[in-house]
Amino acid sequence: MRRTLSLLIGLLAASSCLSSAARADDTLSFPVLVPLTGFLSLEGTSQRNGAVLALKQTPAGIAIASEVVDTGTSPEAAVTALERAAGRGTVGAVAASMLGTQMLAMLPLAGELKLPLVTVSGTASITEQGNPWVFRFFPGDAVTKAAHARYVVEELGKRQPAVIYQTTAYGQSGKAHLDAAFKALGVTPVFEEGVDPAAKDLLPVLTKALAAKPDVLVLHLHSAPTALLLRQAASSGVTLPIVAGSAMHQPSTAALLEPAELKGVCAETAASPISGGTPEVKAFTDAYRAAFGKEPDAFALGQYDGMTMVLEAVKAGARSPDAIRKALSAETFQGLAMTYKSDGKGNMAHSAVIVCYDGASRVPVLAKRYDDPTLAAK
Amino acid sequence: MAALQLLVNGVALGAAYALVALGFVLVLNATSAVNFAQGDLVMAGGLLAVAAAPLIPLPGIVLLPVVLVLMAALGLLLALAAYLPLRRRPPVSVFISTIAVGIILQNGAAILFGPEPRAAPPLFGDDTLHIAGLAVPEQSLAIVAVAGLLIGAQQWVFARTQLGRRLRATAQDPEMARACGVPVTAMILVTFAIGAACAGAAGLLLANRYFVTPTSGGDLILKAYIAVTVGGWGSVPGAVVGALLIALFEVGVSSVLSYPAALGALYLTLLAILVLRPQGLFGEAVRRRG
Repeated sequence: MRRTLSLLIGLLAASSCLSSAARADDTLSFPVLVPLTGFLSLEGTSQRNGAVLALKQTPAGIAIASEVVDTGTSPEAAVTALERAAGRGTVGAVAASMLGTQMLAMLPLAGELKLPLVTVSGTASITEQGNPWVFRFFPGDAVTKAAHARYVVEELGKRQPAVIYQTTAYGQSGKAHLDAAFKALGVTPVFEEGVDPAAKDLLPVLTKALAAKPDVLVLHLHSAPTALLLRQAASSGVTLPIVAGSAMHQPSTAALLEPAELKGVCAETAASPISGGTPEVKAFTDAYRAAFGKEPDAFALGQYDGMTMVLEAVKAGARSPDAIRKALSAETFQGLAMTYKSDGKGNMAHSAVIVCYDGASRVPVLAKRYDDPTLAAK
Repeated sequence: MAALQLLVNGVALGAAYALVALGFVLVLNATSAVNFAQGDLVMAGGLLAVAAAPLIPLPGIVLLPVVLVLMAALGLLLALAAYLPLRRRPPVSVFISTIAVGIILQNGAAILFGPEPRAAPPLFGDDTLHIAGLAVPEQSLAIVAVAGLLIGAQQWVFARTQLGRRLRATAQDPEMARACGVPVTAMILVTFAIGAACAGAAGLLLANRYFVTPTSGGDLILKAYIAVTVGGWGSVPGAVVGALLIALFEVGVSSVLSYPAALGALYLTLLAILVLRPQGLFGEAVRRRG
């Protein structure tokens, strides 16, 4: 018995060594380090799914390995996950957390380890650290909020917005960029107030916003608060147009509401894959549904595009993290959501769209596309 | 008119919070242990209702007894796994074990249900009643009625039945109760079951209007803790009043000030109560003999 056990352990050890050796030779590893638990688990799960789907569709002839690690919501967990991932084989690039605080913690280590981090984090400062190893495949607030404000002012013709935002870092950043975008358009909001994500009843803030006599409600809230506010607005008989933040475009947000409660509601986002588009986008949506049994959102598509660009670079001959970094820095990539090109800081995405609901369906339709709206605003 | 509308919303929210605080204070009285999993039990009740809704395609009021029974069973499990093995250890052991149960519930819910926010079915209907210019969601009225009935029923059991007397005796002095022949361990198990059932009911009531996610229990335990501290540590009426006070700040005060300012005012009020009346609004003063 003991001899059999020893033999088994020996065989396992040998196969492990052989596997490591083989991996070291020609296999590139692409760890997926994303928040699957905690307050960002909804968006983190989309991010993971997008990365995993892209890696499943690796072009023929390329040997890859990958593992998914839940980084939770603490910066320490993200740094530990990156350290551990770097110790396992040759890492080509990392699908890295969309949580800004985790990205900021991981960036110095990524610089030390010389590993490209591919993310969909919206936190502006991650690409302002002078770190050449970060690549963001999701438009930052400067882009999306410029599109948000421009749609309100230029398309709807509204000049008295009431802005309701979240008191989190996400909300504060969006609010600051909305302020700047409205200012650039010569508009001053008639009402601005932050609400905590834990607030259960949003009627108080809605009542105050309406008392300021706005001609449009502009929201920048997380998923559940967006749905809650829309439901309370509908039951209060509010008929003002509402232009919400990107959380509204997520199919899981729309699923909380009746289609009638969505009538006249629009939202900014990077993309809305369920709204259709090219055959490639439809193929992505079908593959996503088949793989995960869920509807994809813009975070999933952004991460999918990012990892696909990485794999295209590998296919073109980039076999080291530095070669992949150079390719991401220099190349232009036609993704499913948009065309990606680094601005020199790692910001790859420069387009945003506005989608609107017709009151009959939970699937929004594309209302307006903005390619580099900040440049256009200037 | 807007003030009346806010009052209805505030009372509905306070009624649901009261159920959360009530379950918390019952366990606290019976065991002298703080059940930090109470908020996650509320989340579990909400998700249980979400899961049961497709199986029982009837209004939430029909689901309520099912949720109460299943949550009571979960409460028994919680007591067996996280309280009874540690009852003779320092209180901090139970704090830690209930925190662990809360994390297990959160992560289990995330695996089973995914991270998306979900809505439980309404108790009766999802319509909005328009009464004299007021838009009152049916669910708000149903929350007040059902929470009031559950709290009343619980008070009746505690005040008028033999089981209630035994439960109160266990809460007041477990050693004396045991000496008088009260099966203390069984009473503690029943208390955990009632506490979890209260949490389940609150979960079902809250999950329709305010949605539920695997992480939504975290802030509810804080609210239950504040309600019990304000009302008086261990006081059942105090917990209900404390819960209504929190809702008053969240809905009433935030309609005048901003929500962050209302939260600040709530914590200042809590601080003032702790300084001026440390035993809470309904608590009994405890003095040390000289």
